[in-house]
Amino acid sequence: MTRPFLSIRNIEKTYGRVVAVQDVSLDIAQGEFVTFLGPSGSGKSTTLYAIAGFLQPTRGDVLLGGKSLLSVPSNKRNIGMVFQRYTLFPHLSVADNVAFPLRVRRQPKAEIDAKVAAMLKLVRLETMADRMPAQMSGGQQQRVALARALAYDPPILLMDEPLSALDKKLREEIQIEIKRIHNETGVTILYVTHDQEEALRLSDRIALFNAGRIEQLGTGHDLYEKPASRFVAGFIGNSNFLHGKLSRSDRSITLPDGTAIQGVALDKVGPGQGDVSIMIRPDHFRLHNGEAAPRLVGTVTDTTYLGEYTQLTVLTAWGGALSVRLPPDDRASPVEKGQSIALTCAPLDVRAF
Amino acid sequence: MLLDFNRLGGLRVALSAIAFLVGAFLLLPIVVIVLLSFGSSRYLQFPPPAWTLRWYEELFDNPDWLASFATSFEIAVVVAVAATLLGLMASFGLARGRFPGKEALRALFLTPMVMPVVVLAVALYAFFLRLQLNGTFVGFVIAHTIIALPFAIISISNALEGFDKSIEDAAVLCGASPLEAKLRVTLPAIRSGLFGAAIFSFLASWDEVVVAIFMASPDLQTLPVRIFSTLQQDLSPVIAAVSSILVALTVLLMAVAAIFRRGKPA
Repeated sequence: MTRPFLSIRNIEKTYGRVVAVQDVSLDIAQGEFVTFLGPSGSGKSTTLYAIAGFLQPTRGDVLLGGKSLLSVPSNKRNIGMVFQRYTLFPHLSVADNVAFPLRVRRQPKAEIDAKVAAMLKLVRLETMADRMPAQMSGGQQQRVALARALAYDPPILLMDEPLSALDKKLREEIQIEIKRIHNETGVTILYVTHDQEEALRLSDRIALFNAGRIEQLGTGHDLYEKPASRFVAGFIGNSNFLHGKLSRSDRSITLPDGTAIQGVALDKVGPGQGDVSIMIRPDHFRLHNGEAAPRLVGTVTDTTYLGEYTQLTVLTAWGGALSVRLPPDDRASPVEKGQSIALTCAPLDVRAF
Repeated sequence: MLLDFNRLGGLRVALSAIAFLVGAFLLLPIVVIVLLSFGSSRYLQFPPPAWTLRWYEELFDNPDWLASFATSFEIAVVVAVAATLLGLMASFGLARGRFPGKEALRALFLTPMVMPVVVLAVALYAFFLRLQLNGTFVGFVIAHTIIALPFAIISISNALEGFDKSIEDAAVLCGASPLEAKLRVTLPAIRSGLFGAAIFSFLASWDEVVVAIFMASPDLQTLPVRIFSTLQQDLSPVIAAVSSILVALTVLLMAVAAIFRRGKPA
């Protein structure tokens, strides 16, 4: 493997006895879009701030192109950043905001003017060069902040929940813009969010943070289809968690009503057998067609037709509620409330923890 | 709103009348002084029998009054600068710092505003005797800066607390050194607070009389001190003229402060 572009090595940050981040390691390739996803307080922003230089990690190192960043002050790191809050300089116009990092670097005026024009074109705000920040919408302000952060061609762009203050529709619009700008500039992006959909939409890879650690690192597909832990399974997408008894001899799990599922994915279960937690995605269920192996019987207590799929709530024999999403082809014979239903799923889609 | 002025019905008249009376009570003495300064009567007869600019002429012909004007103005300008600079540094500490006893320190900084001025004056007088600062320009500036500092700190720390530190962080990541980020981003962003601090510090010194009486020497008297000592000898309409100029300058500065506050970015 070639030398990683940005290498985060065993970062740890403690405040007194409180551990904010522990032993976070991550290698990022040039031009990659990596998202730190996780609930608030999981250490994702702390890790980002350590890279920005706003806090010094208690232990560990951050290397950019093989050189440690930790002894370099923030203003010399040449890193771009877009913040969660609006951080445009309130007394400067849009053009002056974008020009600020270039003026600080004492670049010639002609170069600055050309670069500011190019950056405003990149974020499609050419016509707003003379506006003041207070006269702009939140979405426009964040686009100017993006232009300002990219004006000095930083090797890395950090984004700390830049869209969390915007409404959903605007958020999706700017996500598309960010994706386009990433493709056009090829800049390496580290993006922090607590919104799984945003992470899945934008990222090449996702680092899922929990309690100060990276719980799993991988593509969105990896995290959804092969969650490494119960936490990942619960955080990404919707899941049904059931209790079962594992028998190692025939790789089967027995549900409380006696239904046995054979050949489940066991790579995340420790040695031994007995009580385990198993996860089945709502969209992995199918109507039982008479021959498939596991046959899980329940009563439909609620159905919601949502076009792309039908959402069911199914009460199992042992009294647990299952969330089930049936795709269109299973909709031919409509399922009705109160009806008894038999479900099945592919054993490899059942994951035990 | 529960107490909407437009829905008060008959009470509106009463409320307007009370507001008018309070306003008149506050403003009338000032109006009378200004009118008297243009009146021809030597004994401050009201209403004035005739109008004249004689007292202003007398005032501008008297080198003692002019010297006091200059003294007051110079002291107030230096105090405005000193209190604003000190207030800025103190405000950064109070708004950004994290240390035990911060709230106690904030209260301590504001004590000159609540402590009886005469106590402060006596204490400073006794202290300055040892340092031989009584009757000196430096003594005046130090004493008035102490009085002005709470106004400066309140004005600047309000502005600083309303300013998102992330904006300064953004400037630092853009390549500005921490000092450069403060000079080029933070200070311009809180400029209305800085101007407010300067104006209120200037005024705090400009019309201060108690401490000034203790600090003054025959050669170094601020305007309020000279008004006070002149009043003890005779009641000349020149004093009304001086007072009118004091009032005019104060109103002017308050207006400037109000304009700056309105111009503050939302």
